[in-house]
Amino acid sequence: MNRLKPLNRKAHQIEAAPNEEAVEKVVAMTAAVAGCSTTFDPGWELDPFLGVAGLCQPMEADLYGCSDPCWWPAQVPDTLHNYPDWNTGKDDAARDWNTLQSVFPK
Amino acid sequence: MHRTVLSRTSPRALALAAGLVTQLYVGGAHAVAPAREALVNTKCASCHTAKGDGRWDRISESRRTPEGWDMTVARMGFAHGVKMTHDERSAIVKYLSDAYGLSPDESAAHRYIVDRTPSVVEHPENKLIGDTCARCHSYGRIAVQRRTEADWRKLVHFHVGQFPAIEIQAGGRDRNWFDIAVGDASVELGKVYGFESDSWNKWKAQKPADASGNWRLVGHKPGAGAYEGTATVTRTGNDAYSVSMTVRYENGTSEQLTGSALVYTGHEWRATLKSGEREINQVMTLADGGRALSGRWFESGYDAIGGVLRAVRADGAQPAVLSVQPAALKAGTRSRLVINGVGLDGDVSLGSGVKVLSVAERSLDRVVVEVESAKDAVSGPREVKVGDARSGEALKVYQRIDYVKITPDHPMARVGGNGGSMNKVPAQLEALAYTVGPDGKQGTADDLLLGAMPAAWSFDNLNKVAAEMKDARFAGRIDQNGLFMTNDAGPNPQRKYRTNNAGELKVTAAVKDGTRTVKATAPLIVTVQRFNDPPIR
Repeated sequence: MNRLKPLNRKAHQIEAAPNEEAVEKVVAMTAAVAGCSTTFDPGWELDPFLGVAGLCQPMEADLYGCSDPCWWPAQVPDTLHNYPDWNTGKDDAARDWNTLQSVFPK
Repeated sequence: MHRTVLSRTSPRALALAAGLVTQLYVGGAHAVAPAREALVNTKCASCHTAKGDGRWDRISESRRTPEGWDMTVARMGFAHGVKMTHDERSAIVKYLSDAYGLSPDESAAHRYIVDRTPSVVEHPENKLIGDTCARCHSYGRIAVQRRTEADWRKLVHFHVGQFPAIEIQAGGRDRNWFDIAVGDASVELGKVYGFESDSWNKWKAQKPADASGNWRLVGHKPGAGAYEGTATVTRTGNDAYSVSMTVRYENGTSEQLTGSALVYTGHEWRATLKSGEREINQVMTLADGGRALSGRWFESGYDAIGGVLRAVRADGAQPAVLSVQPAALKAGTRSRLVINGVGLDGDVSLGSGVKVLSVAERSLDRVVVEVESAKDAVSGPREVKVGDARSGEALKVYQRIDYVKITPDHPMARVGGNGGSMNKVPAQLEALAYTVGPDGKQGTADDLLLGAMPAAWSFDNLNKVAAEMKDARFAGRIDQNGLFMTNDAGPNPQRKYRTNNAGELKVTAAVKDGTRTVKATAPLIVTVQRFNDPPIR
């Protein structure tokens, strides 16, 4: 590392890592691609390890950004065609989540 | 997305029957069949061309359960603007279920998805169909439909049209989903779940059964135990009945339920009954020419709270022992045994090593006996006989409880309430006791299930991450009947990341067997609510 100068935040974290284990942790985190990609899969009920630790936390933080185009087609209403007004006027899911309805018509 | 995840990591998929749900509307659907057919012409034929003889484009190329038809008809309302009253929707569903339903055989293997059995782990029978459909849906949802190959293919096209993001959503984007779905998968669906079937043709040719009369019933409700009772069913119209039911639980409580039932497809019994403020939904099957009724029931809004029920005709039925309470007897003990059945007339015999000391009560449908099991009685099932009435293996005698299992194996609960539109979804757990059988080994075919036993229930964090997140502190609480109730929905400011009150727990049941305590554990996942909650998920 003597001849290399860290230029971004992740590189600084690697340089500042106190031991090898911490370096691996930083590398692992950079390998997880955030966003709508296959390598990063926040399940709805369960994460890839059949638990909930890998879900979006809280769920409401990612509800609108991730449902229609990316994930959760069965658990979250489709707002493209079927329920276009499901979240109209409920712009902040973390605040407005309790006004969101279950959609199947009784 | 859990189904995606599960299908990648294991062949299993969870079919979750939980949450606030819609019941089929039982009342108001009693119009006669020709009126219902006319209604299909009025409401559906402007898009689905009538072909005459009770056939319409698309509609008559598929068959499904009443719930399946209700979901389709409901979608015609919210996605295509068809205007229907509640009664009209019910009448159309009744007509289509009768004309294009499933025979009892065709849905038998997947009743769990119709009767909303909670936390079922699926084992998709067909890999291609599972990989194509069951990453988003339960496999059961597909398996309770029958379509022509061409109609399965149209269903794929429908998915792309109605859900334009489907090919880039998780579960689809890692492969050429569309080509697979319209190609090999449609061919396979047409073969495995094709429209034409001998079973359906035979079923349709049968004379409809009449369910009216007096019934004797037995059942089990996880958390409350065994129950028995009676029902009176009175015909009020074509396939329509009023129902009055008395249920007595082994814990001493009892309830009176009244309501109405409608039979779809000649066997799909759907009833809505009231017991005080509680509303109960029955999803059952009428069998044996209208002489037997069995299935599951659950509380409105709380699928996980319910039980199974089995009923036979009390009037003129063959003598039969239906259940014994308690169903397991420890060797070397005295106990009071209740034998439930019909036509219970004659001597009581409980098999080797179990002696009847006295008869405390008796009638044709219930015999109460004081019994003693020998200290050296061999562990195993016993046939219970009362005169000509027999039970199969209703009674189990055991020397000791060798192990306990928690059921469901993979329970899941959901946060809810807190002002939101979704109820909390609890998990009702049970501790099932077993003996290892003659081979002395656990987990082999000769193991004997003794039944659900009272247990002391507790839970802790499942793993290190759960401990760091303090899941056990935030996720919920469990009562001593094994009912785990979650905490409130919504972001929790007290938690790291303001995360939801979800969590990964390890639940423990401790069952007393004399002076011993036998324990079992199971993972209990508490997760978030779902906002799309049709009757078949």
